[in-house]
Amino acid sequence: MSKPAVEVKNLTKVFNTGNPGANVFKKGITGSYVVAVDNLSFKVEAGEVYGLIGPNGSGKSTTMKVVLGLMAPTDGSAKVFGLDAGDVRARNDIGYLPENPYFYRHLSGEETLKFYGKLCGLKGKVLKDRIDELLDMVDLEGARTRRLAGYSKGMLQRIGLAQAIIQRPGLVILDEPTAGVDPVGSRQIRDLILQLKEEGISVFLCSHLLEQVQEVCDNVGIIFKGRMRREGPLEELVSIENRYSFVLENASPKLIKEIETLVEKEKGVTITEKGNPRTTLERLFLKIAGSKDQDEV
Amino acid sequence: MTTFTETKVKIPVLSLSRVWTIAAGTMTQLVRMKTFYFLLIFAVLVAGVGYLDFRLATAASQLETIKKISFGTMDLFAWLYAIVATALLIPRDLEDRTLYTILSKPVRRVEYLVGKLLGVLILIGLSLGLMFCLCMVMLAIKHGDLVSSELIKLSSDPNITQVEIEEQIALINEQGPRKELGVAALASFLKSSVVAAMTILISTFASSSLFTIITSIFFFLIGHAHGMMTDYWLHKTEGNLVIRLATKVMKLLIPDFQLYSFSEGVVTGATIVPAVVWSMGFLTAGYLFIFLLISLMIFMYKEF
Repeated sequence: MSKPAVEVKNLTKVFNTGNPGANVFKKGITGSYVVAVDNLSFKVEAGEVYGLIGPNGSGKSTTMKVVLGLMAPTDGSAKVFGLDAGDVRARNDIGYLPENPYFYRHLSGEETLKFYGKLCGLKGKVLKDRIDELLDMVDLEGARTRRLAGYSKGMLQRIGLAQAIIQRPGLVILDEPTAGVDPVGSRQIRDLILQLKEEGISVFLCSHLLEQVQEVCDNVGIIFKGRMRREGPLEELVSIENRYSFVLENASPKLIKEIETLVEKEKGVTITEKGNPRTTLERLFLKIAGSKDQDEV
Repeated sequence: MTTFTETKVKIPVLSLSRVWTIAAGTMTQLVRMKTFYFLLIFAVLVAGVGYLDFRLATAASQLETIKKISFGTMDLFAWLYAIVATALLIPRDLEDRTLYTILSKPVRRVEYLVGKLLGVLILIGLSLGLMFCLCMVMLAIKHGDLVSSELIKLSSDPNITQVEIEEQIALINEQGPRKELGVAALASFLKSSVVAAMTILISTFASSSLFTIITSIFFFLIGHAHGMMTDYWLHKTEGNLVIRLATKVMKLLIPDFQLYSFSEGVVTGATIVPAVVWSMGFLTAGYLFIFLLISLMIFMYKEF
C-alpha cells in the first residue's frame, strides 16, 4: 500500500512574540507566546483531495508551511510520502501555490515556468514540451510571452498552479487557491483541481471558502484555534442522518398533494422544506457569463 | 506521475545547475528592473568631466584629475549598486512570497543564497566592465587631444629641445590610458563584492529592503573609517581596555574597506606590486566565504 501523501502527527507550533495581543494564549518566562497549531494530526492519502478549513488565524497556513519545510515544528512531526517535511528530497514530490502569489513580475509566463522547471532539474526538450503542455492546460497559451506584470489575478493563479505541477509532483499544496479570483476564474481553478485528482495527484488545500471545498474535496478537516475540531469524509460530515430529500421534475400539483397527504399519515414524519429548488447566485452568474462568451464567439 | 520511490533520489549538497538558474533569474530580474539606468548617468558624468575647464592645469595633471573623478565615480556607483541591487533581492522575494515557491521546490537554501550573490556579482562585474570601457574611451580621446595640442605648442617654441618635448609627452603618456588601470577597476569589483556579501548577510535578518540599504550603507561607512575611529577613540580614552576590545570587535565584524584604496595609487600612476593584488583577492575570498557562512547559518534556521 502506498504511503500517505501527507502525514501530520501531534503537530504543535509555538511562536514567541514580544507583542502580546488578542491571540496570545499563554505567557512564558521570556515573554508571550502564541500556540498557532496545537497537537494537530491528520493524513492526506495518496490520490485524494483533502481540504483543511478554518477561519483566518486558525493555523491553516502554519500547518502548510510546516509540511513544506518552511517552518520547523515545535513538537510532533510532518511527513510527505514518508519523508520528513524538512528533508529537501520530500520537495521533489511537492508542488505549492501560495495565497495571492506574485512571482517575478518581469518574467513572462513561459520564462516563469522555465525558471521553476530548471529548479526541479528539468531541461531541454522535456522542459519545453512540459511548458507547452501546461500553458495549454491552464489556458494561457495566448499569454505565454506576456510579462506577469500584465496578468490578471486569475491568470496569476493559473500560472501559479502550472509552476506548482511543473515537475509532475505527487502532491499539490494550495493555499486559498481562489482568493480574490472572479467566479469564472474560480471555476477554472476548481476544474484544474479536479483534473489533478483524475490524474492521481493528491491535493491538500486550505481555504475558508466552504462551498469550493465542498465541491472538490474527498476529506475535510475543520481547524479552529490551532486544533482539529472535526475530520472525515465530506459526505459523512455534511449529511443529516434523519433527513432525506428528492427533487421531482414535471410533477403535477395533484401528485404533490398526494405525496403530502401520504406523509401526513405517517406518525413523526414532517415535511421540513418544499418549493422550487433555487440555483445559487454563482451558478446563475456562470451560466450568464458562459452564454455571453458564446455570443461573442 | 512521479512515484514515491523517485523522491528517494539523492539531491546534491550544492547543485551548480540550480545555483546558475537562480543567478540567471536574479540577473534577468535586476536588468528588467532597469537598475542599469545608472550607467547612463555615469556616461553623462564621464563625458562631462572631459569638458571641464582646465586652462590653468598642465596636460598631465588634467588627465590625472579626469582619471581621479572618473574612477572615483565608478567606485561609488559600483558599491552603491552592490548595496541597492542586493537589498532588493531577498526581502522582496519574501514580501512577494516568491521565496516560498522557490524553497518549496527541491532547492537547498545554500543554493538560493549562493545563486542570488552570484547573480549580483556578475552584474556588478558587467557594469564595472562597461564603466571601465567608457572611462578608457574618454581618457583615450582626451589623451590624444592633449598630446596633439601639446606637441603643437611645444614645437612652436624654439627654446624647447626635442629631448624636452619627448620628456613632456612621456609625462602625459604616464597619465594616459594604461592597462594597469584595470587593477583599479578590479579593486572596485573586489570591494563591491564584499559589500554585496555583507548586504546579503544583513538581508537574511532584515525586515525590508529599506532597512537593508540603510544598515549596509552605515556599516560601509564604518568600514571606511576604521583606522581613523580607532585612533581617535584610543587617543581620547588613553587606551582604555573596553575601548580597545570594542575596536577589535568592530574590526572583526566589519570589513576594513580602506584596504581597497590601493586603487587610488594606481589611478594616479603609481606602480602596483602583483602580490598586493593577489593578497586583496584572497582577502576578498575570505570575506565572501565568512559572510556567506554566517548568512547561511541564519538563513538555514529562518522560518518563513
